[in-house]
Amino acid sequence: MAYSFPVEVLEHIFSFIDSDNDRNAVSLVCKSWYEIERWCRRKIFIGNCYAVTPRIMIRRFPELRSVSLKGKPHFADFNLVPEGWGGYVDPWVLAMGRAYPFLEELRLKRMVVSDEALEMVSKSFKNFKVLVLSSCEGFTTDGLASIAANCRNLRELDLRESDVEDLGGNWLSCFPESCTSLVSLNISCLGSDWSLQSLSALERLVGRSPNLRRLRLNRAVPLDKLANLLRRAPQLVELGTGTFSSELRPDVFSNLSGAFSGCKELKALSGFWDAVPSHLPAVYTICSGLTSLNLSDANIQSSDLVKLISECQNLQRLWVFDYIEDSGLEALAESCKNLQELRVFPSDPYAMEPNVTLTEQGLVAVSEGCPKLESVLYFCRQFTNNALFTIAKNRPNLTRFRLCIIEPRTPDYITLEPLDAGFGAIVQNCKELRRLSLSGLLTDRVFEHIGTHAKKLEMLSIAFAGDSDLGLYHVLSGCKSLRKLEIRDCPFGDKALLANAAKLETMRSLWMSSCLVSFEACKLLGQKMPRLNVEVIDERGPPDSRPESYPVEKLYIYRSVAGPRLDMPAFVWTMDEELALRLS
Amino acid sequence: MDSRADISCTAEGILGYVTMSYRQRPEVDMAIVKPEIKSYVWLQTSDGSLQQVEEEVAMFCPMICKEILQNGMGTSKNYAISLPQRVTPVTLGLILDYCRFHQAPGRSNKERKSFDEKFVRTDTKRLCELTSAADSLQLKPLVDLTSRALARMIEGKTPEEIRETFNLPDDLTEEEKLEPIRNLTDDPRIRLLNRLYARKRKELKERQKLKNVETEEEAKDERSVDDLLSFINGGEQDAKGVRPAKNKKKNKRRKDQSKGFSSNDVNGNLKKVELDGLSLTCNDGTVQNFNGSTPSKTAELEDFAAIKSMSRIEFDDGDLDDELDPAMKEELDREVEDFARRLNSDWPERMQEILSLGSDRRLVPISINGNGSSQGYTGTMILFSL
Repeated sequence: MAYSFPVEVLEHIFSFIDSDNDRNAVSLVCKSWYEIERWCRRKIFIGNCYAVTPRIMIRRFPELRSVSLKGKPHFADFNLVPEGWGGYVDPWVLAMGRAYPFLEELRLKRMVVSDEALEMVSKSFKNFKVLVLSSCEGFTTDGLASIAANCRNLRELDLRESDVEDLGGNWLSCFPESCTSLVSLNISCLGSDWSLQSLSALERLVGRSPNLRRLRLNRAVPLDKLANLLRRAPQLVELGTGTFSSELRPDVFSNLSGAFSGCKELKALSGFWDAVPSHLPAVYTICSGLTSLNLSDANIQSSDLVKLISECQNLQRLWVFDYIEDSGLEALAESCKNLQELRVFPSDPYAMEPNVTLTEQGLVAVSEGCPKLESVLYFCRQFTNNALFTIAKNRPNLTRFRLCIIEPRTPDYITLEPLDAGFGAIVQNCKELRRLSLSGLLTDRVFEHIGTHAKKLEMLSIAFAGDSDLGLYHVLSGCKSLRKLEIRDCPFGDKALLANAAKLETMRSLWMSSCLVSFEACKLLGQKMPRLNVEVIDERGPPDSRPESYPVEKLYIYRSVAGPRLDMPAFVWTMDEELALRLS
Repeated sequence: MDSRADISCTAEGILGYVTMSYRQRPEVDMAIVKPEIKSYVWLQTSDGSLQQVEEEVAMFCPMICKEILQNGMGTSKNYAISLPQRVTPVTLGLILDYCRFHQAPGRSNKERKSFDEKFVRTDTKRLCELTSAADSLQLKPLVDLTSRALARMIEGKTPEEIRETFNLPDDLTEEEKLEPIRNLTDDPRIRLLNRLYARKRKELKERQKLKNVETEEEAKDERSVDDLLSFINGGEQDAKGVRPAKNKKKNKRRKDQSKGFSSNDVNGNLKKVELDGLSLTCNDGTVQNFNGSTPSKTAELEDFAAIKSMSRIEFDDGDLDDELDPAMKEELDREVEDFARRLNSDWPERMQEILSLGSDRRLVPISINGNGSSQGYTGTMILFSL
């Protein structure tokens, strides 16, 4: 017999259940749980803003306090999504402004945000606390001014990697003197040219924010100001410096060093624009407490890098340029035994010849020396199957593996074979792998391996790989947990896609650009699968101006209960049933 | 508090003198005082059975505490504190164990934590009973403890597993289940089948509706004018395939609310028929022009999308099922199975089928380099920190 609880008790139990997956499961148990759960859901994550409408969300979850939305597909980061494609947050803000007066948190990624939307956010939600705009665009410092001026209880303002138009003015001074609630401020994406007024507004703001824990500055903040800021905020846990260069004055150095040593709780460091190596020792006093170090904006060379890193014995995350070279990575493997995540970015990707000595050896060394390594992003110019075998053997605990050999279709440089076997070893050994990016010379074989072994893989990125539809077929039919698939410049066409049409409904999205999918297949897919939005993105004009068998430029397929979207630009066509009828 | 002085004078139940809390007594008194004899209260569970419990233990429960202090209950069998229905004798025993442990001073945090961990190591049913009982006794720490334990039992499970654990009915309809706000790792076949089921059911229902129109037409004549109009609109919309059940609800409301009707209503309702994209209806039945700019344009546009596409499924509409006769259901099952089988069969044959259904033209093989893209080979290798 079922045990019946009063609603308040069930709600109380649900209040301890936080993850989206678990909340979704709870809501699907039975009618009464569905009802109770939807009224007490406070937080929601929508991975694709076009999968559902604001109205549907509001209707189902009337009491949300925290909303996270993602807009453009990931490949937008590489300029593959044309300007104006979509991802507008304005309709969401409009609807939420009316429906959720108690909304506290809004987190957006790759969305287009207008100043009007920001103003509406600042005025509609009396208790607004958290605004995170990750890789967003479309707004200016005026929009930020509204937020600063009107959000009385603002705790977080995080603009990570957004594209903000700087209209001058001094938006930081719009924070009222009474605003002392800031916990996190990330303005690292803002300009490198600030007036003295802006800088002093920043200083005052930091000075009256006793709860400030995370502060990421922009390049405009000079090094001599940094010391002042640090002295006003010794409680910081995360710091992104501004520009890290200045004239070589001893007083600047000692002032800075003193300021850093006062920040006993510092765990994460980033920034370091234009870093002058001789200034780096200023941070040595806090290095032993650091768990995260992001030097991906710093042109520091290998030996200085090694000196810095060897002070950071407790490092868990390191982002760095390939200036670190193999030797630096070997040193890293020696000193940082707690390393969990490594990202190595290319300093000069367009150079024809390598400018640094960074090869597969570096990554192999780290895989050997760092037993907790689970997340890798590695740009380099050469690799071998053997290296991949070794890495796979050393680190079966990898969960994210993104290898980017800069030149497409680069084979194993010793055997000149494709890297199929190497990546095959990765997916076979690393049973918990959730994210994988492939590169180098790859045939359909690698996809066979992936389809067979990568059962927990959720996101796969493929470029310049494969020989035929069989490759795509293996992935779509084999990878049970696949949610996001992004493909560019591969010879994948209609067959595999149509045969696995049902699979697409279990995924968040599929992106294919410069492949061989015909418009005809897109139409078919759109007709057969009304729960999928099949978007053809083609800047060459309407698809019916070309033979139907011609491949489309770009294809973006995502599941949706919202139906076709209504904000499509001229170069996007959806395969809506009626539309398809009209076009055929 | 004063009434407690009287307690020691009563003949029944309470033994000895009232224990002043030994926290109040100065240390020196402890040495000469006789061994403490505790004070007891009487509790009665809903089955009628009575229990005597140390007062300090029972007072740990706010509800009991209130009964003692505010209402003076619990002093004797006749004045036993009636416990809420959700507190069974067994549950009461367990709760009192909890109270007895935690109300004792001098226990370390480690000890308390250890006790708690052992306490919740019990079956789901017991945990549910404890949570419910503790809630009715307002014993928040225990409610939190058991709730967390239950939450841990729920986490990581599928809906089916949760149902089994808690013995809950599987009463959500297929449509209600189809809600991928975020990702669900369902078998693609099941999801497809569910969707097809819903579509088929809708189609079959429409067929049924048309059959029933004749019988309904006789009843029509008795109704008021606006009922008539509602019915016509309902009928029209059925023909277009918009959810019949939804319209039923709308019609019901109109019957209740409107005595007469405005000319607006008439025009509005008739215009609903035109679902060609030039006009649209909002959920509240008013008509807006698609091309007009109204303040809530985006809301209307969303409605348009929702209503216009006939095969979209509104998941809060649970009226669709359970009304088909068995024969229809069988037909439905067969058709769905057929479609699903065809779609998921071996891909080479399927491809032939699909492509031959499409057009006769063959795919023109186009190499990547030669597709006319303006970006050169090396240009397109631009960074993709994937």
